Amino acid sequence: MVPTMSGENTVREIGHDEFDPKGTLVLILVYFGVLSVMWVFMYFVEFLGNDLTVLV
Amino acid sequence: MSEQLESGAPTFLDKFPDEAAVVRAALWSSFIALALGAVFGLIQALHRTDVLRLIDSTDYYTVLTAHGVLMVVSFTIFFLVGLFTWATVRSFDRGVESIRYTWTWYGLMVAGTLMAVVAILGGFVPQTDISADVLFTFYAPMQAHPLFYGGLAIFVIGTWLAGADYIWTWRAWAAENPDERIPLQGFMVLTTMLMWYVATIGIAIAVVAFLLPWSLGLFDQINPLLTRTLFWFWGHPVVYFWLMPAYLLWYTVLPTIAGGRLFSDPLGRVVFVLFLLLSTPVGIHHQYVDPGIAEGFKTIAMTNTMFLLLPSLLTAFTVVASVEHGARQRGGTGLLGWLRALPWRNPAFTGMMLAGLMFAAGGFSGMINAGMNINYLVHNTIWVPGHFHLTVGTAVALTLMAATYWLWPQLTNRRLYSRPIGLAQVVIWFVGMGLMSNAMHVQGLFGIPRRTAEPQYEGFDFVASFGSVSELNLQLAIGGTLLFISTMLFVTNIALSAGTPKLSGIGQPLSEPLSTVDDSPEILDNLKLWFGIALVLVVLAYALPLASIIDRGGLLGPGVDPVPMIVEPVAATIEPTLGRLAAAVGSVVP
Ligand code: HEM
Ligand SMILES: [Cu+2]
Repeated sequence: MVPTMSGENTVREIGHDEFDPKGTLVLILVYFGVLSVMWVFMYFVEFLGNDLTVLV
Repeated sequence: MSEQLESGAPTFLDKFPDEAAVVRAALWSSFIALALGAVFGLIQALHRTDVLRLIDSTDYYTVLTAHGVLMVVSFTIFFLVGLFTWATVRSFDRGVESIRYTWTWYGLMVAGTLMAVVAILGGFVPQTDISADVLFTFYAPMQAHPLFYGGLAIFVIGTWLAGADYIWTWRAWAAENPDERIPLQGFMVLTTMLMWYVATIGIAIAVVAFLLPWSLGLFDQINPLLTRTLFWFWGHPVVYFWLMPAYLLWYTVLPTIAGGRLFSDPLGRVVFVLFLLLSTPVGIHHQYVDPGIAEGFKTIAMTNTMFLLLPSLLTAFTVVASVEHGARQRGGTGLLGWLRALPWRNPAFTGMMLAGLMFAAGGFSGMINAGMNINYLVHNTIWVPGHFHLTVGTAVALTLMAATYWLWPQLTNRRLYSRPIGLAQVVIWFVGMGLMSNAMHVQGLFGIPRRTAEPQYEGFDFVASFGSVSELNLQLAIGGTLLFISTMLFVTNIALSAGTPKLSGIGQPLSEPLSTVDDSPEILDNLKLWFGIALVLVVLAYALPLASIIDRGGLLGPGVDPVPMIVEPVAATIEPTLGRLAAAVGSVVP
């Protein structure tokens, strides 16, 4: 049989039903937060930071 | 340390010695390309920042072409075929059907690469008329020596035969196991290769029907917009061809290294199917500023591109959840405290995690690129190389290097020469890329162009909103130097590993997913169906744009003289581009 366990460092086996990836959820929410802030920042850098371009 | 060693299980080499030899050969080809590419990368980074100019600026395009082609064609794709051969043989648990056939496609890929590289390096030798300074985006009107196109064609044929090899193994396995689901790694290999068959239609037509005959002098002129569009037909999906080996490793190897199990096998399959379906009908997003393609087609490409974010977000979730599972099995606790329980001393683990982190950053600049209006701000600036050094240049490259630290012992029965050097190597890459890519992004926002040996102009200064251009140049140069050092550490570490003693029983079996394929509908494994839909989507996305390009310009196009790749005409094209950029900026600012 293929081993399901993952090495000697395993302290406890956690099956599918006991596992609830809350940490992952937090990290992904943080990432979305960073993305939103960067978008806003982009607006300031590009549109307000640059002078108007005169079309001739 | 012990976690890597002496599990008592057989390695891949023990079970499949003939196949292991092919995999090692393919990976070595890949590493040689990486090392050469890094030399050219360093030359460029120092040259364009005016830190050290080892070459004449007129040779810049030879260097740039060599860097681009060696990195994104040779390094990535040789690694891919090596990894996929390993993954196919391992997951179907059977040797290839004919090892001579396997060596044949590998040999074709090597021959094709040598031809193309000779054509490119010929650019340094003015005595020959061989040159191919056409950059890795080799569409008309830039023209290369026929040897270059011939080499590319042979290389691609080699990859097609490699794909057929994997399909052959799968069919032979399926005949003996009619009721079983395709194993996950096999599924990933097969869907990726099917995507490649769809994608390479574009490049095969561009090279064989137009570029090669044109460079042989059979046609006087070709339609440049047509070859550009056919190039980008392939040029976007190829980025997923680079990325899928990294995804395969994140889904199937990283969880084991983290001490956990893949969160969901079906989710992994869905992601690969989505890439098969969606990666080709978006290529026009590379042509947002091309005249001659209607805005409507560009908007469709943009919409499809946004859909393509979905499989990568799914991947972020699945992979991070699998790592979290590993951390909790290792005793980690808390909302984020589990991060401390991970095996950060293991270079394979840390390298892949840092690669993933940089990919997340690349996701941001990718969203900027993908938006049609905001793209005008950064189009053809050094921002764009800043973006793809995060994606292919780190998410992919660093994952492949890090995974090698895990894979190499399985292929050689030898321990890695030095794990601490490996750990230092991946960290140096991360720091170096942080500096180089950051400098590139910021310089791009100031409008500093990419693909320019001397991006400094008389009577004109780039206005920096923060920092100064010379500070950023220094940052770019230091980053590039660190990346070069990191590459050399990697290649040396692998080479020196050949001198460590042979061991036995160091096989590392991969853990089983938490949610297995039995929980998923059978239709997921219907590869014919997905392949068919992928073809239909491509026809829908490309039939009209191609028809209108051919209708307007003709198959052989409105006459454009082939551009001999010398500096003057290039300089002449850069100025209008900058002008266009300024105009574009002007048109979005109210
Ligand atoms: C060894 C570290 C590396 C250094 C120092 C480096 C440096 C550079 C620099 C400075 C440029 C911009 C040149 C210009 O536009 O004028 C560039 C372009 C490029 N790099 Fe790298 N790079 C490295 C690694 C990589 C890797 C690992 C990949 C991909 C796997 C990659 C792929 C590319 C591509 C595709 C281009 C664009 C070439 C073109 O514009 O035609 N590079 N690199
Ligand atoms: Cu693209």
